[in-house]
Formats: sequence, C-alpha cells, structure tokens
Amino acid sequence: MADYASDEVAEDYKCSLEDLISNDRFQISNLTVIAKENTEHAEAISKVLENHIAKTPPQSKLPALYVVDSIVKNVGTPYTLFLGRKMYTTFMNAYTLVDSQTRRKLDEMLKTWKEPVPGSLDSRPVFSPQITRDIETALIKARTKYLDSERLRRQPEISRGRGSVTPTGWQQTHPQSMSRANHYGNHGGIPKTSTPPGNRSDVDMAALHQDLERLIVAARAEFGNHPFNPTSQQRLKSLLDLQGIMQRQQLNPEEQKLVRDQLASFKFPQPTVAPAVAPAPNPPMPAPAPVSTPPVQSNPALSSLLNPETIAELLKATAVNQKPTPPPQIPNVLSHMPQIPPTTSTPQSAENPLIAALRMRGLLPPASAPPMMNSGASAPAGGLPFLIPGQLRSTPPVPTPQAPTPVNVSSTIPMNTSSMKIPRVALIVSLYEAKSNRCGTCGRRFSTTEEGREQKARHLDWHFKTNQRMVDASQRAQTRSWYVDEGDWIQSREVDDHQGPTDSEGNAEGAAGAEDASKQGPPKQWIRAPNDAMLRNTPCPICQEKFESTWSEEVQDWIWQDAVTVNGRVYHASCYDEVTKDGPAPRSFTPQARTGTPDSVLGKRKAEGIESPGQKVRIKTEH
Amino acid sequence: MSLPGLELTQAAEDRPHAVAPPSQIALNPGAEWRFEVEFGHTIKVKLLNGTAELFGTELAESQTYTFSGSKGAIYTWHGCELEVSAGETVTTTTVDGSTSAAGHGAGGCQSEYTSTDTPMMEYANMHFALESIREESQGSGKDGPRVLLLGPSNAGKTSLAKILTSYATKLGGQPLVVNLDPAEGMLSVPGTLTATTFRTMLDVENGWGSSPLSGPSPVPVKLPLVYSYPLPSPLDAEGSVYRPVVSRLALQVTERMAKDEEVQKTGIIVDTPGVLGSGNPGSLELINHIVTEFAITNIVVLGSERLYHDMVKQYDNKPSSSAAAVAFDERVSVVKLSKSGGCVDRDAAFLKKTRESQIRSYFFGNSALSTTSAITLSPSTIQLDFASLTVYNYTVVSTEDEDEDDYDPSNLNMGDSFLPGGGGDDYSEPKQESDRATPLPGIVGLSSNQTNHTNSSSFSNVPLKRVLPPVPTALENTLIAITHAPTTASPADVRDASVKGFLYVANVDAEKGKIMLLSPIRGTIPAQAMIWAKRWPDEVVGLVG
Repeated sequence: MADYASDEVAEDYKCSLEDLISNDRFQISNLTVIAKENTEHAEAISKVLENHIAKTPPQSKLPALYVVDSIVKNVGTPYTLFLGRKMYTTFMNAYTLVDSQTRRKLDEMLKTWKEPVPGSLDSRPVFSPQITRDIETALIKARTKYLDSERLRRQPEISRGRGSVTPTGWQQTHPQSMSRANHYGNHGGIPKTSTPPGNRSDVDMAALHQDLERLIVAARAEFGNHPFNPTSQQRLKSLLDLQGIMQRQQLNPEEQKLVRDQLASFKFPQPTVAPAVAPAPNPPMPAPAPVSTPPVQSNPALSSLLNPETIAELLKATAVNQKPTPPPQIPNVLSHMPQIPPTTSTPQSAENPLIAALRMRGLLPPASAPPMMNSGASAPAGGLPFLIPGQLRSTPPVPTPQAPTPVNVSSTIPMNTSSMKIPRVALIVSLYEAKSNRCGTCGRRFSTTEEGREQKARHLDWHFKTNQRMVDASQRAQTRSWYVDEGDWIQSREVDDHQGPTDSEGNAEGAAGAEDASKQGPPKQWIRAPNDAMLRNTPCPICQEKFESTWSEEVQDWIWQDAVTVNGRVYHASCYDEVTKDGPAPRSFTPQARTGTPDSVLGKRKAEGIESPGQKVRIKTEH
Repeated sequence: MSLPGLELTQAAEDRPHAVAPPSQIALNPGAEWRFEVEFGHTIKVKLLNGTAELFGTELAESQTYTFSGSKGAIYTWHGCELEVSAGETVTTTTVDGSTSAAGHGAGGCQSEYTSTDTPMMEYANMHFALESIREESQGSGKDGPRVLLLGPSNAGKTSLAKILTSYATKLGGQPLVVNLDPAEGMLSVPGTLTATTFRTMLDVENGWGSSPLSGPSPVPVKLPLVYSYPLPSPLDAEGSVYRPVVSRLALQVTERMAKDEEVQKTGIIVDTPGVLGSGNPGSLELINHIVTEFAITNIVVLGSERLYHDMVKQYDNKPSSSAAAVAFDERVSVVKLSKSGGCVDRDAAFLKKTRESQIRSYFFGNSALSTTSAITLSPSTIQLDFASLTVYNYTVVSTEDEDEDDYDPSNLNMGDSFLPGGGGDDYSEPKQESDRATPLPGIVGLSSNQTNHTNSSSFSNVPLKRVLPPVPTALENTLIAITHAPTTASPADVRDASVKGFLYVANVDAEKGKIMLLSPIRGTIPAQAMIWAKRWPDEVVGLVG
C-alpha cells in the first residue's frame, strides 16, 4: 500500500485539488502533469481524487472530474485502472448533486470516455466499455423516471388547459381516450417500478424505456455486424422510431401494453424480423381509409410503427389523409370541459404537448396555418401521382420551340410540411427529361430546342477552351486570387459559359485563346519587350498599367502583346484604338465574375498588376 | 520542345491501376448509395448508365469522379449503375501522424451501403414549392423566397442547401447562398461567413467549388464575398461579434439582390451552424436576428421537432420583415423536412481534418482530386517584421466569461491555445440556460427578454484589439485574415470589413520580431488591417513543409 512517499504526494495533491474551484485549464493541466510524474503513486492519487470529488461542494465537482478526465486521457494507465474501479460511484454521486447544466457537461465528458483518446494510436476507449455502460444505463434509468414523474405532474394541467384552444377536430376525442386512461392508469402519481409487467393493465413505463434502450443497443450492435442486412436495419429504425414516439407521446394503457408485448417478442431474438403484424388490439391499417373517425388516429400510427414494412406506407398515408380533418367542434369539446376558465391562456402557449408532438411529426397541420393552405394541398397533387418516369421518357422529345413545361405544375405546390411528403415524381421531369441534351463532360443539361443546342455548343466550346488553357496553365504557377470587396461583389454578375461571347477583352494570359479566336482577322499587334529597365517599367499612358512580357516561340524573344509604339511611347494597342477610334464606348467597368472564363477575377485587364515588375512569365502564344 | 499538355493527357489516360477490382453498384430508382471515405484514401466513382446526382449535382456519364475525406450520397431518380474503385492513397502528411487505413467497403470506403429510404422526394418538393413562389413573385416586383435552413449539427443542412442550389441553377435560377456557419467554410476557409451567387454547376468532387484562381478551372469558379468570424460558435461573446458581422453581410446581400435581377428572382438560401438549432434562448435570439436581417420568408427545419415547434410558434404566418412585406402581404412559412437517415455524425477528428483540408486547398489547391480537375496552386512565403502589419485580435472569450483557459474534455492534445472541440454543435451553451433539466418537447418558450440582449450589445465596445509587438508566439500555425479595411480603420470598421484573403503564419521569430508568412499570391502583402484568427479555425501544423 501507500508508503511514506505516497502519503506525502497524496497530501500535496489533495491540497492542490482543494484550490481547484473553477474550470481552469492551467490548474487542470498542472494537476495532470503532477499525476503523470508520479505514476508510481497512482493509486494514492486516484484515491485522493475520488475522495475529493465525493466531498467537495457541487460547484467544484466538475473541475475535479475534469482533472480525472485529463489524467485518464493524457496519462492513461495505471490511472484508468485505479480510477475505473470506483468510477461508477464517483460519477453517479457527482451527477446527482450537480445542476442540469453541469450534468450536460458530464454527459459530454462521458461521451468522450466511450471513444478512444483523440489522436492516440490506441483504439480502445478511454475507460473500459463496462464502466461507461453501467453509468449510462443508470443515467437512462434516472432520466426515464424523471420524465415519467414530470409527465404525471403535468397531466392535470394539460387536460385542463387544453380545451379552449383545439384548432383541429382531433382533440375532441382526446379527453376520452387519453386522459381517462391516465386517470385510472396511473393515479398513484408515482411510477411503479416494482410492478411486474403483465400483471396489470397499466405498464411500467420506466421499465419499458429501459427495455427499449437495451433492445436498441442490441439492434445497433447487430446492425454494426451486418450493415447490409435489411432486416437488422429496419429493426433498428423501427425501434428508434418507437422510442421517439414513446418519448414524445403519452400512451394509453392499451398502447402501452401493445408496446410491451411487442418488445417482449423482440426480446427473443429470431433469425428473421419479428412478426409482421403486431399483436395489436386494433389491427394495423396498411392502406388506411380516409380518416373519418379521429379517435383511432394515434393507434394505427403506433401499431404500424412496430411493423417495419409499413412505416413508409404509413408516412405516405398519413401525409395524404390528414387533410380532411373534420372541422373543429368546439362546443362539443367545451361540454366535456365545463370547468375551464375561459381566459386560461393564449392558444399557442397552452398547447398540449401531445398535439405539438403530433404536429411536429407532421401528423397534424401547423396550428396557425391558413386554411387555404390545407385545402390547396389536396387539389393538384392528386392529379399526377406516381407517374413512372420511364414512361415519360419513352415519348420522343419533340423539338418544339418551347421546352416542355411541366414546371407549371409546381406553381401549385403549397409550402407546408404535409405537402412536402406527397410524392410528386412527375415534377422531376423538369430537372431531367425536360432538358435531355446532356453535356458529356460535366453532366450539365440543355433543352433540345434550337436555343438549347446553341447554348450547348457554346458550353462545349467553353470546355474546349478551358481544357486548352488548363494545359497552358499547367506549365506555370497558379495562385488563388484575392477575394473581391463589397462594392465589386455587389456589382458583379454571374456570367454563364453558354451565354455567348461575353466581352472577353483583357484577361492577361488566360483569355488568349478566346482573344485569338475573335481577333484572328487583323494581325496581332506586338512589340519586342524593351531591354531597358526604365522603359520596361513605364506603364501604358492610357490605362496606367504595366506591360507584360511574354515569350514568343516564333520570334524567339520576349514580346509585349497588344502593344504599339506611337511617337516613341508604348501604348496598349487596344487602349490606343479605343481612344483614337472613338469607336465603341469606353468599356463599362462593371466587373464581371468570370465564371465562364475563370482566369481572372475582376478588373485585371492588361497585365497582372500585382506581379512584381519586370518579372517574366513564360506564356505560350499562338503565332 | 515540350508539347503542351502531354504530361496531362498521359497522366489521365494511361493509368494502369490494378489495386482492387472495381465493384459495380446498381441502384433502383429512388435509391441512394452512401459512402464514407477517409482522408488519405481516395475512391473513384463512375456513372456507367442511368442518371445520378450528388446532393443535387448531376454526374456525367463515364466520367471519373474522385473523392477523398468525404461522406456523401449518390442518389438516383431513374436508377443507375455505378462503378466504384480505389484510387491511389494520397500521401498527405497528416498532422497527428495517424495512418488512415482503407476501409473494407467497395473501393476501400470506410463505410458504404445502399439505402432506399431517403427524404429526397421531400427535398425535391421543397425545391418545387420554392420554384412556385419564384414563379408567382416574378413580374409582381416581389423578391424571390429567402430560405433559412435550421437544424442541429449533422442534420444535413448543408447538403440540403446544395440540393436546393443545384436544382435552382438547373432550372436557370441564380440563388444567392449565404453560409453563416463559421465551423465550415463555403468557398473559403473555416472561420468565415460568406455569400455567393451560383449560376453554374457545383463541383461534384469538391463541395461548393472553388473561389477564383489566377488560371482556368475545369469547373467554373464562384465568387464569394467573405467576412472573417474567427470564433467557433456564433454564441461566443453572446453573439456580440456574430450579430454585427451577419448584419453587415445581410446588408450587402440585400443590396446585391436589389440590383441583380437574376438573384432577385431566385432568392436567397441561408445555411446555419448546428448550434443555432439547439433551441436555447441565445440561439433563438440569433435566429431572430437572421430572420430579420435577411427578411426570411421560408424557414426550413431539419431534424428537430422541438425547434420546428418553436419556429412555428414564433414565425409561421407572420409578415416577413422585408420592406415589401406589407404591400404584398408576404408571410413567413415554417416547414419541417425529415433528416436523411444517411446523415452521419462527423466526429471531431474528421471535422478537424476537413477544416485542415479546406485551409490547405485555399493555399495549395486540390491536388488530391482526379487529374482532370486537380489544380495545384503555388503560394509564396515571405518574411517580414511583425511590427509592419496591423493585426487585430478578438479579445472576447468563448461562451463563458473567462473560459479561455477552460478545460474541455472533448478537446484534448490540441496544443497550447484554447481550441474548442468537435463540430461546434453541443459545444457552447449560453449561461442563461435555465435549470430545468431535459424539457419536454414543445414546452420551451422564447425568453421574453430578447430585446434587452439586442439593445445592450448593439453598440458596446468592439472587442477588437490591435496586437502590438512583441510578436506573440501563438501566431504560429494560425491564419490571419487580410481585410479590405485600411490600416487606419476603427475596430468596428475592421470587424465589418470583407476579407481579401488569408495568410498562414508558418513561423514566428520572437527574438527578431519577424514572422514567416504563407501568402496565396506572390508579391507584397497588402497594407490593410488584418484580423488574427487566433481561436478559429484551429491551428494547422506544418502547412509549409
């Protein structure tokens, strides 16, 4: 056991720990270093840490636990072994005493313990999974209990506060099915953890949650082992869905029972997925008829969820069927709730969480959605459901002047959550088939119209030029351009490559191809680059930009492109033309975001102004 | 004489790769092939027949696409066949020295599978619903829809943004996409907020594409407007830095929209960080700020029912905050879309590598991609006196008052400076979080004291301080943003200035007061005010070999 030295180290460590009252990185790393340097006293230090965490006031527990965290991650063994022994008690004791914010931090820390140390070669988690799993299970259990008691505590308020709002007809049934259930189900007010499941009509929710959690863990593991097995995939998904439902909704005893039975059937692992039909009091509805009787609405959702196969159908069905919600029958509701004070609250804040949950799942329309939205959802979409794209494609594209415009259909798609779930495969045509003329290089689509063909031709041209220039560019250094400033950005316009010859002037070297093509007629104006440094640095008098030397293969010398000597002064030929010819109006200075000719950003016209003067760039020119 | 391009064609064509036999994957209509490729490993994907799209961007037939360090999904509306093979292992020196082994999936994917259960129909519906708003507003003088995407981290917000953007451009629109997530850069490095108009296709291999280069690029470049926000979470400093930068960005976006007809027609798509989807009061307040500043008309919530409920309560069917809202009776609508089952949690290590690769490709280009689209950039190094630069630093600290020195268990072994962990999702919690534990869904209300917060922090001191010599050694391995503001600008102007580019501090010589910088462009460093990205993005060690 601890010898004399160990005692001393431990005592020192204890003192330092007591100074640690806040989340101070330096103190923590200091304590970590001490621990690292004294691994021979690891056991003593671990004990000090445990005692300290147990005794220190709640607000100091987190920093102390961070010390533990830092030590186990930075030092590792033997601390992980010593600290791991009592980690469950240490952690849980601390967890129960701290506030919710600190708990969240602890949760996060715990999460990191399940993973390997970041950047470490060791792929094992920080603590052995056994330790973290125990803690997690306990936490889940505690949380479930909390949720349950919370739910029960809220129960009376909810059923009281609700009736006055009821924007939808669904709610009128609620008082009967749900709250009554809860009234005789859980009147005690405390979850009965000890009740063996199955003996009573009500079900122990905490245990259910636990079971579910365990099953999910198992299913995850199975899924991890057989990621390609669709059954394990579906099973995991349905379990997760079920968990979501259980956390969000209150279940009446029948539903609880149903869940429990279903879980029980899951518990005995079978090679294939559990029975396709849940042992439900209400048979699942594979293709639900339009919901005319609201009371069952929550039940089919639940029972079908347990059956993985029908989830997708259900989603579709609910999305479609929810629209004909019966109009609110408020008088009816009020008669059930005679005791409501009429001024309880505003509709929004008093909303029943269950309703809210349903709404969030898209099973009910948004509370304040205008009625016209809802009615609009059913109208156009029904017209063209499930069109098979293949059929559409088989009809030969007719090169009419107008492109086929299935887009029109979209003008009626309402913007609400339920509308989003309606499959409208026919619309996809506008993204694909409507533009069947496809660029082989980048997958871009064009219409088959005359215009589309022209656009494509120009687009291909662009590819060709870009490729050429890529080849050129591969021989010299490329750099990232500076980003533009606000003014330029606002003025910039995206130019598409197929928009025809946009003004391709300038663009020092990059646009050479384009320029050559357009100016093939007149011979290019160039002069030999002067050797004199002074001359070389003299800018064009018109645009005040320096000339750029390029290497001409033909002349075998450095030349200045687009340059002309007039009266002993060197001008840019294009500048000189512009000024003297009085021809085209001075170039507009609207900066172009040259996405089409992506070599230059903005305003870089004659030369690379940024480049240091006299610097020679080797460029291929066509001569 | 060297023939131009010979090297390139050779490299592209005769590439005898016999690593592993390519696997073929047949997808039924409506199915999706999901894959995860580690950094350091590449896979090649080829569409053999049919149609396929990656987050809305269509793949061309029999072109080879290369992926590395990415998690994606290739979806097909009509069915298709894909061929997947392993690419060469890229020997990028990973910082932590960890070796990333190829996985066991097809082509060496870490994980890959086919799923038939996707929310793509919902996403397409969302697009078409937006398209109908666009059509409706056209000609009426009304602006196109302004869409805000909300949801927790890893819910697929950015993927949805890409899908909506791709589809809109496919129909000839020009959406203006705004990225408000400092954890992930869009067309820039992390630690930035950006706005970009998209007209051309997105880059299949490379996310959003690339910002302009000095030379040509096989996929048209995009032109972003960039602001520096060198903090990991919008909630840092209680939003007192985030808010004004967002406002500034929104102002430019609004102006662009007013002047650019195409953008006006198509509207705006705003992508947000996951922490805004966490539903605590601080983030609800920031959402409100964004909704107001961008005059949002459509809120899309992904993967969080609680947030959806909050949003419905707060905004649904309320008039939008645009000036034209009254004239056109323009109202906000809130819609919930399903989170894709393919969304995977990207762990801290992966996100860190993603950030690192974004920074790397800002300076060096994308050499890891296929030869046809690989672009190698040549940044230059320059050594200069630190005293000659005007560098500002945010003096705010993250999340809580003095937690610069806090210990964070999720963030270990990451060097000296305080670096937040992970994806910035669950990382920061505002202090005003109430004591209630695990609230039931739908019971969270907005804090009623919203206005107090906005007022108190609107014009308090700007927490930007000039960094004066001696040169701090912590500069090493971090980024410095060059703004467009002059060196004489006030701190508020520097904060609000858009960014010209980034420098990487390769080396600090504290004794001589000199620093070695990596600059994207040769030549002198622009004499402009700079912002030191001290805390975010996290440092990249060894960018310069």
